[in-house]
Amino acid sequence: MALLCCRLLRLAEPVSGASRLLCPPLIRPDSCPPVQALRNLRTATWWDEHLSQENVDFLKQQVPEEYNRLTASKINPLKDEPWPRHEWEPGSRRVGLVGVKLGMMPVWTKDGERHVVTMLQVQDCHVIQYISKEEYKSKTAALVVGAKNVSPFYRTEKQMEMFRAAGVPPKQKLSVFKVTDNAIIKPGTPLYAAHFRPGQYVDVTAKTIGKGFQGVMKRYGFGGQPASHGQTKTHRRPGASGPGGDPAKVFKGKKMPGQMGNIYRTTFGLKVWRVNTKYNILYVHGSVPGHRNCLVKVRDTNLPTHCEKNQQPPFPTYFADGDEELPEDLYDEDMFRFGDESISVV
Amino acid sequence: VSTDPQGAVPLRASELPAAATRLSTAELRGLRNDLFSKEQARQRALITRTEKIEVTLEVPGHQGTLLIMNKGLSTPRCCARHLTEWHVNSSALALVDGEPWPMHRPLTQNCSLALLHFKMEDPHHVNKAYWRSCAALLGQVLQNAFKEEFSVELLTSPEVPVTSGAFCCDLVLDSQLDSWVPSEEALRSLTRDAHQLIQQNLPWEPLQVSPSFAIKIFSHSSYKQKEVEERAAESASGLVTLYRCGDHVFVSGGHLVARTGLCSQYDVTAIHNLGQTELGLLRRAQGLSLPVQLEAHHTVWRKLRGRAERLVG
Repeated sequence: MALLCCRLLRLAEPVSGASRLLCPPLIRPDSCPPVQALRNLRTATWWDEHLSQENVDFLKQQVPEEYNRLTASKINPLKDEPWPRHEWEPGSRRVGLVGVKLGMMPVWTKDGERHVVTMLQVQDCHVIQYISKEEYKSKTAALVVGAKNVSPFYRTEKQMEMFRAAGVPPKQKLSVFKVTDNAIIKPGTPLYAAHFRPGQYVDVTAKTIGKGFQGVMKRYGFGGQPASHGQTKTHRRPGASGPGGDPAKVFKGKKMPGQMGNIYRTTFGLKVWRVNTKYNILYVHGSVPGHRNCLVKVRDTNLPTHCEKNQQPPFPTYFADGDEELPEDLYDEDMFRFGDESISVV
Repeated sequence: VSTDPQGAVPLRASELPAAATRLSTAELRGLRNDLFSKEQARQRALITRTEKIEVTLEVPGHQGTLLIMNKGLSTPRCCARHLTEWHVNSSALALVDGEPWPMHRPLTQNCSLALLHFKMEDPHHVNKAYWRSCAALLGQVLQNAFKEEFSVELLTSPEVPVTSGAFCCDLVLDSQLDSWVPSEEALRSLTRDAHQLIQQNLPWEPLQVSPSFAIKIFSHSSYKQKEVEERAAESASGLVTLYRCGDHVFVSGGHLVARTGLCSQYDVTAIHNLGQTELGLLRRAQGLSLPVQLEAHHTVWRKLRGRAERLVG
């Protein structure tokens, strides 16, 4: 490097302010800079930038073990200071679940009708926080439920504090469920698919598949214009935007091109056909908003026509340490099971 | 322990009228600071004419560069200032002719200079110096944290390797605090004090003095005087190195890094009781720190902190 010629400078360096007389006035003493710069405490680094390969492997192996330890001890959350369990009454609302949409498959009823069902798996669902109705400023209390464990390296300190307070690993999605006071559950309790039973009706909320900025034909099903016969540069446009001279304006809410999808939508009144307790999968009727592997919020339906089918559910939730032993699969009575006999001779 | 003539209150040995009068911590700090500054000025005034020395750099990218510096005045930091700002801010320790050398100690003869930082292949010199500096910072925080009526005596900190998980600082507190157990809030307030010092980015200024002067500086503490004598006996030149950070003067077991600003994450993790000695109840304060170039994610930091709370050394 060509430093030899320009580096031969004489520099006297005072270490403290006491010997200011010796140093030339241009050079500032280093121990007390005149402008105290504020140190920026935010760093642009990722979690394993300064770690050796062994450390990274160790952490990758240790984090799941720690999660298992956290969840294993919570199989019996009621061993210490159990919260009282109440009985179901008409008019009480219980908590829901957050699940992962796996895909769809057909089911047949005993009459031979074919329907399609969506499979929703409940992965690592825990109650995170209880919000009393005064804090939530509403008529009912609320419970925050989280689903699907994720890496702690991409969660902020505040989020980690909340999960640590509940004693659960950090979750990907948090949902708030309004519950009545007789259905509150202690934070840290795991929730399972057996919370819902076949024959019940649920509402499923999720973010729809995002289509981006879409035109009016895809977004609202407008007819557009013909492809030929003299149309000049007008094939998929909205056409007229309103009545004309009398209002002399375009009404608010006019359907126009814009963002389509990636918003929360709810599908109401879906029947639960089957519940698999080994893998925690719910088979709900029909389709559900969202893409495969997205997280969906499942709760007991609000529709009045299905209220009588949701009577006497596991209340406040299904506890794994309880006395009832459930078989691996629970089927709705109308559903055809392929292992059954087709004909029986009496 | 002996009683005063009226027989009212038992006094400790250091409070007898024969020893120096009891000063408050702030006055003692100011006194030692003044003596240090005067000695520094006196040593600077000994250099009447500036002689030149040739310093050969062994910095990657500037291998073999020759710098003409001032004898007895230029420090390795001055040499780094001839390179880039990164060299100035990231150099923690210097290697002069293969020997570790503090960044703020003046160079005395023609030599070869290498600048050490934390991201080298072989950082063991820097690691040891960093751990020692963090322990010294912890000692400074503890010295100034207690109220005036409680005395604090810092003892020689044990040399712990970085792999043990925490650096420690041994101290003996006032006998009135024997039953005090530090709470989480107390440890957090000590951490805040340490972060204040780190924010100020104070340099650790070394000064080589004769043992007699060092004994004079620590005239109010017999333990420190004994420590000075031990260090003078084991050093090759017979001189004792004193360090000053801000206005806190102390003697250290080895080299320290350049500035407090090199630490970024710093936590005081625990204070353990080790047992009674003739000076009083011996306590070990432990902490954990990482430098600016090796910061850890908050999850990783928590795991390391969990280990630093256990007794070390």
